[in-house]
Amino acid sequence: MRLVALDGYAEKRGFHIGQGVAEARAMCPEIDVLPADPAADRALLEGLADWCCRYTPLVALDGDSGLFLDITGCAHLLGGEKALLDDLLARLFHLGVEARAAISSSAGLSWAVARFGSEGIIAPDEATRVLAPLPMAALRLPRETIETLGRVGLKQVGDILEAPRAPLARRFGAILLLRLDQALGREDEPLSPRLPVAALSVERRLGEPVQGEDDILGLTEELALRLKPELEKRGQGGRLFELLLFRVDGAVFRIAAGTSSPLNEPRRVAGLFRERLQAVHEDLDAGFGFEILRLSVPKSEKYEVMQEDFSGTPDRERPLAAFADRVMARFGAESLLVPALSESHVPERAATFRPLTDLALIGKTEEPGENIPAPLLAAAARPQRLFPSPEPVEAVAEVPEGPPRSFRWRRTLHRIARAEGPERIAGEWWLDGEPAMERDYFRVEDERGRRFWLFREGHYGAATPPRWFMHGVFA
Amino acid sequence: MADKAVQRETVLSLRETIARIENRRLPGVVRAAKAADPGGFRQREEDESGRKALALGVPDLDALLEGGLPLEGMTEIRNAETRDAGAAAGFAAALGVLCQQARLEKGETAAPVLWISQSMASNEAGMPYGLGLKAYGLDVRGLVFSLPRTVKDALWIAEAALSVPSFCAVILEIRGNPAALALSESRRLHVRSRAGHVPLLLLRQSGHEEASSAFFRLLVEPAPARERPLPDGSMLRGSIGHPVFHVIAEKSRAPAPLGFFLEWNPHDRRFYPVEPLPAAAAADPEPAHSVARLSASSGRSGRPQALGELVAFPRAS
Repeated sequence: MRLVALDGYAEKRGFHIGQGVAEARAMCPEIDVLPADPAADRALLEGLADWCCRYTPLVALDGDSGLFLDITGCAHLLGGEKALLDDLLARLFHLGVEARAAISSSAGLSWAVARFGSEGIIAPDEATRVLAPLPMAALRLPRETIETLGRVGLKQVGDILEAPRAPLARRFGAILLLRLDQALGREDEPLSPRLPVAALSVERRLGEPVQGEDDILGLTEELALRLKPELEKRGQGGRLFELLLFRVDGAVFRIAAGTSSPLNEPRRVAGLFRERLQAVHEDLDAGFGFEILRLSVPKSEKYEVMQEDFSGTPDRERPLAAFADRVMARFGAESLLVPALSESHVPERAATFRPLTDLALIGKTEEPGENIPAPLLAAAARPQRLFPSPEPVEAVAEVPEGPPRSFRWRRTLHRIARAEGPERIAGEWWLDGEPAMERDYFRVEDERGRRFWLFREGHYGAATPPRWFMHGVFA
Repeated sequence: MADKAVQRETVLSLRETIARIENRRLPGVVRAAKAADPGGFRQREEDESGRKALALGVPDLDALLEGGLPLEGMTEIRNAETRDAGAAAGFAAALGVLCQQARLEKGETAAPVLWISQSMASNEAGMPYGLGLKAYGLDVRGLVFSLPRTVKDALWIAEAALSVPSFCAVILEIRGNPAALALSESRRLHVRSRAGHVPLLLLRQSGHEEASSAFFRLLVEPAPARERPLPDGSMLRGSIGHPVFHVIAEKSRAPAPLGFFLEWNPHDRRFYPVEPLPAAAAADPEPAHSVARLSASSGRSGRPQALGELVAFPRAS
């Protein structure tokens, strides 16, 4: 067992990471050792990353102990870089998180200063001056490289700043100069943000936190109202809206609501979140209230502006879209389905359901199965209800290939009066890959007039006796 | 004199209101009064006498339903056993086809049918099958299907759907007689349906008769089909033709339940009245040697069950 992390006091006592626990106990018997929980650490870091979304949407994780915030163009919103940094550190301190931060013009320099330096904000032309006295570890180098550098007496970054580059690269690898250039801002270092940045977002910071659902919805509508001119300017409507709720104690809730057609109407946006809040009611703990609300549009599409006419015929699409949005916001995107036909012989594959994604397609889609000629469809009788998985039945049938005479389904005996068939449907080997059993389908009617769709899998006289299944019921 | 006219106006408007509540035709006096114009001009005759109905094309049934399927309000369709669910669902789907067609004939854009099926109902009786429904006459491009988990969710979706004028019919499929859909809930749906001008078909799968706000309750049973006709006019022996339903109007204005045998023709997309087959009539009554309808129990204890056990039969009112 080895130490993986230390607090400030332990560092002062001279422990170091990687030390054995027994050795540490011998040095100081009263130390408190907690088992490491990397998953919880990760969750905390991600929670903090979410929380940092209040400063900028571009937040990237840095290993398992740091965060990169790209505050380009954001600092003035919070009163300048200094105000932003002070605010960030003060809030984190009140959350009980010990953090160090630095602002500079490159990610590498900020990393170095936050960990090894003391200055908070570094002007672009001071990079060399600030970096020179820092130890080599500030350059994010692998351990072997640092040790090799140390062996030849290069302990500080300043030692290599003025040194000729070619011998350094030859001796210590390209990584040394890459990291140096990144820290000095000569090489670009892209950050990969955790979450895609929304095209548009508006937020509202509240002096007094809100708790009530109605307050949240009212504020959401207000935000949507501010969003509308921007969307209109771009000629777009949102297909996905995301509401970020920043709770006063640092927790952040993300609630996304999709729409079935591009939308920019504030009332309907608020209505979407009304249903979403109903659905996530249990998970959304308002606690002491939310202090920041942000509404963003991660996904938008072209919005067709329609001219109202005087004919008085109500527009069908829009109320249908409103209905679909309400239902899908409440019960999920899979709650409304439309039939999807495909060209297949296997019945369960020929007609399935897919989620209603685009309303414009209702009544207009040309399905691949559309061009099945009607007579063919009529000849091949298909049931009106199909069991997703065929149910086994015990049947008495004519040997070898005749229709069943009676069968027992769900413990009830049905005597068959008439039967049509067989219709042989073979497995689709080009999809299933293995020789699927062929099925002989019979359409049967029992004495009371119930019509069923039965099939036999296998043949009489084969090694294994055939099995009968109920696959559907006719009208 | 003026007092009398005012009284007469009041009485007439009251009678009109009552007729609307009861979903009946307007009384002749009211109609005459409405048609008469003080200026002496003849007003355009109202084509509907206060209620909208979709004729099913079967004169007897239409007469019983007072014009046909009510296009504003709830109609209940039930079946007794799960294995009859195919017939009831087929009858409801046929009504959906008729609603779709009526919209098209009026020259309006095609409106979708919404089929809400509580997931247990579809698990027990099978999922609606696109190809089969297409062959049945339904325009499956105009079908929206929903599979909510609970009855409550199903009712919520139905209520939301009835308040938008986008659907030509809403089919709500519920299994049994759940407590979540009692008289007050059915009343609520019925009122929504009347206000939204969208017909609601409550498809009660293997449920009992229960008091509800529906205008009519139809019990649908399967009936043996005719044989397929051959081009020369004869019938193909042993074949199974178009589906036939035995529709019994359990709740209607008729004094006693009336039964009709209807055949659905998917090609013509309409019902035809048919005579019951003698075989069906013969199969119906008690057999000579009466045996229990259920199979003998096997693999269970033969002892009688303890008295006082609760069974899942809900209140039938």
